[in-house]
Amino acid sequence: MLLRFSRQIVDQPITSQIILEKKTPINILSARMNQLGGEILAEIPGDKAQEVIKAFKSKGVIVDVASLIEKDDDLCIDCGACISLCPMDALGFTEDKSVTLDAKKCNGATCGLCVDACTRRALRLLS
Amino acid sequence: MYAASRRNLKLTSNTPDKKRTVAEINEKIRNGDVQVLTISEMKDLVESSGVEVAFKEVDVVTTGTMGAMCSSGALINVGHADPPIKIDKAWINDVPIPHPGAAVDLYIGATIGSETRGFEYGGGHVIEDLIAGKEVELRATAYGTDCYPRTRVETTLTKDDLNQFILLNFRNGYQRYATAVNGRDEAIYTYMGKLLPNFRNATYSGAGELNPLCNDPDYETIGLGTRIFLGGGTGYIIGEGTQHNPKAALGTIMVKGDAKQMTPEYIRGATFSEYGSTIYIGYGVPIPILNEGIVKKVAIRDEDIPSDIVDYGIPRLNKGTLGTTNYKELKTGRVNVNGKSVKVTSVSSLKHAYKICEELKDWIQEAKFYLTKPVETLPTDTVFKPMKVTTETRFVESLIGEAVTCTEDEDVKAVAKRLVEESVNQAIVVDSANELKGIVTAWDITRSVANGNKRLEDIIVRRVYTARLHEPLETASKRMADHDISALPVVDKGNKVLGILTSDAISRLVGGGATG
Repeated sequence: MLLRFSRQIVDQPITSQIILEKKTPINILSARMNQLGGEILAEIPGDKAQEVIKAFKSKGVIVDVASLIEKDDDLCIDCGACISLCPMDALGFTEDKSVTLDAKKCNGATCGLCVDACTRRALRLLS
Repeated sequence: MYAASRRNLKLTSNTPDKKRTVAEINEKIRNGDVQVLTISEMKDLVESSGVEVAFKEVDVVTTGTMGAMCSSGALINVGHADPPIKIDKAWINDVPIPHPGAAVDLYIGATIGSETRGFEYGGGHVIEDLIAGKEVELRATAYGTDCYPRTRVETTLTKDDLNQFILLNFRNGYQRYATAVNGRDEAIYTYMGKLLPNFRNATYSGAGELNPLCNDPDYETIGLGTRIFLGGGTGYIIGEGTQHNPKAALGTIMVKGDAKQMTPEYIRGATFSEYGSTIYIGYGVPIPILNEGIVKKVAIRDEDIPSDIVDYGIPRLNKGTLGTTNYKELKTGRVNVNGKSVKVTSVSSLKHAYKICEELKDWIQEAKFYLTKPVETLPTDTVFKPMKVTTETRFVESLIGEAVTCTEDEDVKAVAKRLVEESVNQAIVVDSANELKGIVTAWDITRSVANGNKRLEDIIVRRVYTARLHEPLETASKRMADHDISALPVVDKGNKVLGILTSDAISRLVGGGATG
């Protein structure tokens, strides 16, 4: 999920407060902030997702919830440029060197590392 | 049929001097008894049965590759309008189209991006759309002459409306290529795809042992006039490609072919994010098995084709190498970089390379495709020189300033005082060995005063973007702009602080009218 912090709240330790309050691990995949605001891309355990999202929203954080990634096989040319970017091994080659996406392993938009690596724009975030 | 062809081979080919000619092979194609193998089948045969048997049994092998080949484009002739126009500027689907010739010849360059959609749609996509039979919009302007009075034209075109639609690529099919990694602490976007920071992934290009030039490394059968599979149609090699570098086993080819015959399966527009538009070209070359020497060469395996591992994070021409791998290792999906195994994938399509080998094999077996003997083979002695640059390029070292430093255990007030005394905006936090630990800016201190934070260690920014002494000023200033920061500590390989590069120093250079 993508957390967006406005200028007004960026100096507050919101993420750590929520980790403590909800007693849940939050895995920060990337973060970018300065005094003008910022964004955190994070993973949260599925069972606490709704609760954690609600907590962030109550503190004024804008939360973009994970969406899935879809692969358009007609656009794909089976190069595999996406494969080495996938931290979950959701992307791979079949025996005949076609590129496949295993939706069960995919982290969806919480990761999204592959999307802009596709030169054919065959990988899309589903909203 | 097969038995007949075996007898035929014995009669015609298994001559004492163990040679066969292109003319003999074409005769067999005509008779329907030519023996064609894909390059992969041939390698297996040589391995299992040896060179002599493979020479006797096989007349032709088919090679292929499909990858992003930026130095490509299509020449089109759109015919004359009434009243006629001598096109000065032209756009197709908003992609600017250079016009190198007379009135109505246009060259669609694969890498030129659309004026409205940027890199997402470029010349490569225009070519793909035309090949797919789609309608495109041509817009052109002119200054008007006595013989070409028209100054504007807007129309729609399909490939059927074009007099010529010729794929004309000045550099295709690199024999082999480097393996790309990124040693920076930020992801970078290159023509080798997206590269994660700190060597976390790798990419490579090329089909390895399927690549045409790899299988004829001395260019004995490939050259000007070689008929090839190009984009699903037939085409020709018309000489060496630009940057052809045979001595480094980095040969390239220049090709042309009638794009009206081609299919979008093998000609695809593409976009490398934050890099540009390009085009994927699929091509295949038949290699005639003229003698046993050629059999030995086409037997080359992926492990015998090296690829240098190169840090694309280094913004210089000479990036050095971090080691050498080969296509066998690359195709396993993991490669060893600096002693660590990392995921590696191709930016070329191996699947299509195999398909091209198969399709070309079918064409030859069905007598739809005959071989040609090149008029002139590719040169083996040309060199690829770097650009002669007459203006000075500036590097970080020319603008590096002395850094005001502090250590983590210092008092905020003492550091604030130092900033005022030295009249700088930031202090670099180092340890006793002068290793970079963080940065603290006047803004951080102001905020700490407002929040009542007294300890320096609480306000230090620890994730610091840095610059290297020998990197160009351009890349360092882009890094500052990208991350909205005003200074970069300059560090050596061991992360020791050498000085600081500030945006003020760069502004003074530009403002002072110095020429870079």
